[in-house]
Amino acid sequence: MSLFIDTVLRLAGWLLLAPLIPGVINKVKAWVAGRRGPPVFQLYYDLAKLWRKGVVLSHVVSPMHVAGVAVGWVALVGAAMLLPLGEGGLAFRGDAILFVYLLAVARFCTALAALDTGSAFEGMGAAREVSYAVLAEVAVITGLVALAVESGSLSLSTMLTPSPGAGVALLGAGLFIVLLAENCRVPFDDPNTHLELTMVHEVMVLDHSGPPLAAVLHGASLKLLIFSVLLAEAVLPLGAMPAWAAAAALAGAVLAIAIGVGLVESFLARFAFRRVPLLLTTAFLLCLFALLTAWKGSEFGVTESSVAERGAPAAEPFFGWRP
Amino acid sequence: MSTSILLLTAGLAAALSVAGAFKAPRLWLSFVLVAAMASLAAAVGTLAGGGVWELQSGWTIGGERVHFRLDGLSAFFLALLAVIGGTGAVYSQEYWTDAAHPRSAGPGRAWWSAMLTSMGMVLLCANGLHFLIAWELFAVTAFFLITLERRWREVRDAGWLYLGASHAGSLCLFGFFAMLAVRTGSWDLGPMRDRPELAPLFWLALAGFGLKAGLFPLHIWLPSAHANAPSHVSAILSGVAIKMGVYGLVRFSGWLPVPEAGGWVVAVLGVVSAVLGVAFALGQHDLKRLLAYHSVENVGIILIGLGFAMIAAHHGHPAWGALALAGGLLHVWNHGLFKGLLFLGAGSVLHATGTREMSRLGGLWKAMPWTAGCFGLGAAAISALPPLNGFVSEWLVYLGLFDAVNAHDTVAWLAIPAIVLLAMTGALALACFVKVCGIVFLGVPRSRAAESAHECGWRMRGAMLLLSGLCVAIGLVPVVFWPAVQRAVVEWRAVEAGVEAPLMALAGCNVVFAVLAAGAGAALWWHVTRRGIRRAPTWDCGYAAPTARMQYTAGSFAGIITEWFAWILQPARHRRAPEGVFPALARQDEHTPETVLEKVVQPAGSVVMTLSTAVRRLQHGRIQSYIVYLLLGLLVLSVLVFAWASSGSR
Amino acid sequence: MSSNLNLLIGIAMGLNLVALASGRLPSLIRAAAMQGVVIGVLPLLMHSEFHWLVAAVSAGTVVVKGFVIPSLLQRALRAAHIDREMEPLIGFIPSLLLGAAASIGAIGFAGALPLRPEHAGVLLVPGAFATVVCGFLLLMGRTKAISQVCGYLLLENGIFLFGLLLIRSTPLIVEAGILLDLTVAVFVIGIIVDRIQREFDTLDTRKLTALRE
Repeated sequence: MSLFIDTVLRLAGWLLLAPLIPGVINKVKAWVAGRRGPPVFQLYYDLAKLWRKGVVLSHVVSPMHVAGVAVGWVALVGAAMLLPLGEGGLAFRGDAILFVYLLAVARFCTALAALDTGSAFEGMGAAREVSYAVLAEVAVITGLVALAVESGSLSLSTMLTPSPGAGVALLGAGLFIVLLAENCRVPFDDPNTHLELTMVHEVMVLDHSGPPLAAVLHGASLKLLIFSVLLAEAVLPLGAMPAWAAAAALAGAVLAIAIGVGLVESFLARFAFRRVPLLLTTAFLLCLFALLTAWKGSEFGVTESSVAERGAPAAEPFFGWRP
Repeated sequence: MSTSILLLTAGLAAALSVAGAFKAPRLWLSFVLVAAMASLAAAVGTLAGGGVWELQSGWTIGGERVHFRLDGLSAFFLALLAVIGGTGAVYSQEYWTDAAHPRSAGPGRAWWSAMLTSMGMVLLCANGLHFLIAWELFAVTAFFLITLERRWREVRDAGWLYLGASHAGSLCLFGFFAMLAVRTGSWDLGPMRDRPELAPLFWLALAGFGLKAGLFPLHIWLPSAHANAPSHVSAILSGVAIKMGVYGLVRFSGWLPVPEAGGWVVAVLGVVSAVLGVAFALGQHDLKRLLAYHSVENVGIILIGLGFAMIAAHHGHPAWGALALAGGLLHVWNHGLFKGLLFLGAGSVLHATGTREMSRLGGLWKAMPWTAGCFGLGAAAISALPPLNGFVSEWLVYLGLFDAVNAHDTVAWLAIPAIVLLAMTGALALACFVKVCGIVFLGVPRSRAAESAHECGWRMRGAMLLLSGLCVAIGLVPVVFWPAVQRAVVEWRAVEAGVEAPLMALAGCNVVFAVLAAGAGAALWWHVTRRGIRRAPTWDCGYAAPTARMQYTAGSFAGIITEWFAWILQPARHRRAPEGVFPALARQDEHTPETVLEKVVQPAGSVVMTLSTAVRRLQHGRIQSYIVYLLLGLLVLSVLVFAWASSGSR
Repeated sequence: MSSNLNLLIGIAMGLNLVALASGRLPSLIRAAAMQGVVIGVLPLLMHSEFHWLVAAVSAGTVVVKGFVIPSLLQRALRAAHIDREMEPLIGFIPSLLLGAAASIGAIGFAGALPLRPEHAGVLLVPGAFATVVCGFLLLMGRTKAISQVCGYLLLENGIFLFGLLLIRSTPLIVEAGILLDLTVAVFVIGIIVDRIQREFDTLDTRKLTALRE
């Protein structure tokens, strides 16, 4: 029973808090520009309004155009539920890889829904999304290898909680760049642009409206929250803190990341598309050097947890309750 | 005992089916199905029950006693052969009918039975000589199946290329088995891991079996053969035939000692095949050629698993090696299933529209919802997306690789790049299959042929649905299939340690995800349709009359990525830019050649041809000159003998 | 002390990659200058007690590599109106990946070398290798004179790092050698800049495009 309540609470937390992040980012941007800006809760109002609206679909689209949005959204929720939040939760060896591939499912659905409309612009956006994601995914998996070497484990709950080693700054920088790329924030894409030719994510969802658009927007904010939490947990030694301090630190870190994204967006122009691969390669190299530092650090002593894990891989339960 | 009866039944049914192939297609189908069922039952029995079935009879073929053997490893491949062979046969009944192909339908059925039988023989033979005979039969029957439609020049070319490459591989295998027989004193095959002097033979096996498996630099025959064969033949070529190469590698890396560097080479070749295979696939605009390059990619993933298992064998069999091998072997099944499915789907498209050119297709989901659905499922599976089967096997390979990294050994120098490049392969495959599904099935039809497409009949549909169902089943309940994989892994080098993975947890996640995704999709669709849907033209920057030609094309979709790989793809571009105020005709063609074939093998071949032509001038039919040759040869020989004798006497 | 040293050498190695990835001349010059400052500080850290000669070498290096040469280059850049964009022969991403591979390879290679125990835990040798290789990459992969000079600067920094290995045993000679190196470097750059200036005087400013290569 407590498992059920725990799951529902975590789910509610993810779903309800996600739309806050874009609100914070927009507020920061408005402050920097000297405007008042929309309220922090603007996305909640938008989502509620969109959910009640009717739908306009293109003549061309298949049912996949709507259903794919839902599948992608569920994939993002699943990825979110794999991230550890305090005690308990879903955890098993290898869930880190499932996490990465659930994000890929979301990408697959969004890109296919974009191609479904037969629009040249949406095709362009889908092509950019799947191409840049190649480099972003490489960077993420390298970061995960670094965390796996650091902790000697392959489960997000143990990978993300121990105090990270010397390469934390490198890893943080790399993951931050990936966060910007995967969520189509400024140096890669401008969420506020109105020119279809230069968009990545926004152009893919041009033909969505009403409830599907609400799902897309909510999914996008959820993805932003997922990457923020991943970055925060990878960088902060949350496992070493008491529960309330860890929660506060996590919340603070996520807020700081949102503010950071807002500041980047205020002070940086977006890059030309030909510069995007270079920046993502840089993110990959940052993660790679974080991996190298972790490797050098762990060479001097294999941690006890890794020995225990490799000794008894079969004993892991279906729902791992971390002691 | 029952295995003997089942296999005998299978053999008899296969032989009988050849008799019915020409006149009685239904009879042929039922015999093939009986053979497939019987061999599947035998394989499942061996995989589930354990133990090794062996038959050594007094009969001799070529002076060697007949020796059959079915163990966990060969049963693993036999099961795949039975499934794809049976499904392909059902599919071909509608796809390659007597009405549409009066000349080739009958022979096609006969060759199909022959090829299934010879592949089964390859799996069963435990005698080097008979293995070679079966291997050669299999290679030749495949050639006849590939060239069923031999009116077309490219089909004949593809067939010749296949035959040449296949025989180059057979040559290596002749060397391999002959030297094995010389060194062991018998043609009998079986475990001989305690004879380290046999280790160098592995390189011959790698070349011979690697050619069949389609490893990266040896894959030259694969794209054209897969593209030009009838689609059910492509399905079995890609799903099973190239797996025979994999079988050979797994079998003989398990039975023989392997050199220390063997595992490293196999793993590196696997990584290279995986990345470059998908890169080449992205550059293709022919649907079946694209799928063929994905076979190179997936064989690469399989060999990553095998390579790491071989490295582990030199490290005293740690668990990560077994995990990687389990992932690789499960990927053999998975790739057979989803690639078979994709080729059958491509065949259905070809059947309905008459073209494989993606730039002429589009919007097929409306006319062919079943094909589109099955193909989409196969695409998601091959992109290794959860909750489908491709993800499960790649996940196992990842587990093995991550554990290899955490073993803190020299192997990490290979495992880390392998993980990174495997992730890259996954993302590239996803990009490629978004392109295929989007361009072929979604959007608006790009040609008249695509507009007038029609759904295929129940037999083609049923074959695809069966394979889709298996893809979903392995994805959702991998635990059911896991004992078979474990058994094959244990059989490989007879290490009893076993292999464990938290598959229950993964399966739980997959099931929950699948149920929720289906539920959410249905719920959103219900919520949307409840208030009625308004229809409008697609948003094209305010332009209200979009046409099919304004859609994004396959080439432009893959353009960003093919640009990154232009150094190896060497795309040939022909461009005529629009000029002037009122531009007339403007066009751009881009074509990705088979670089290894056209830039390496063909130049080398033409050098050989030039040399041979020069030598050929010696033969012109004038008897006088031949006498001169004779005399000269005699003179040279006698001088040599004299010189040798005088140096010996000294 | 060793961790501080490693941190600085790590930053220097990172600056190698920044230099390889930068697409504009000013940022390339800035990266080379920062690397000069970073490695200039290193001799101070390697000696536990203060020594005036070491301090002088350190200060000299920082001033010359961090400020004098870069400002000369900047002046040349302004005077010659050279286009600030670079056209690479080896693309930015390939050179970045090659540089990273060189850095990792250098670390692996240094682990295999029979180093003296006091140098084993320090990144000096791999840092030197990586910097030299990145310098060569810049020299091979960039077309413009100024970026060539920056390549030389990186190369020189790498040799300086090698020289630091010997600083304890033969301090004076090595330091003199390093200074000599620096003088030669400045000399070479002086000649290059001078040639640019001369061309500048004799040629019409609009025709200076001929100098870009």
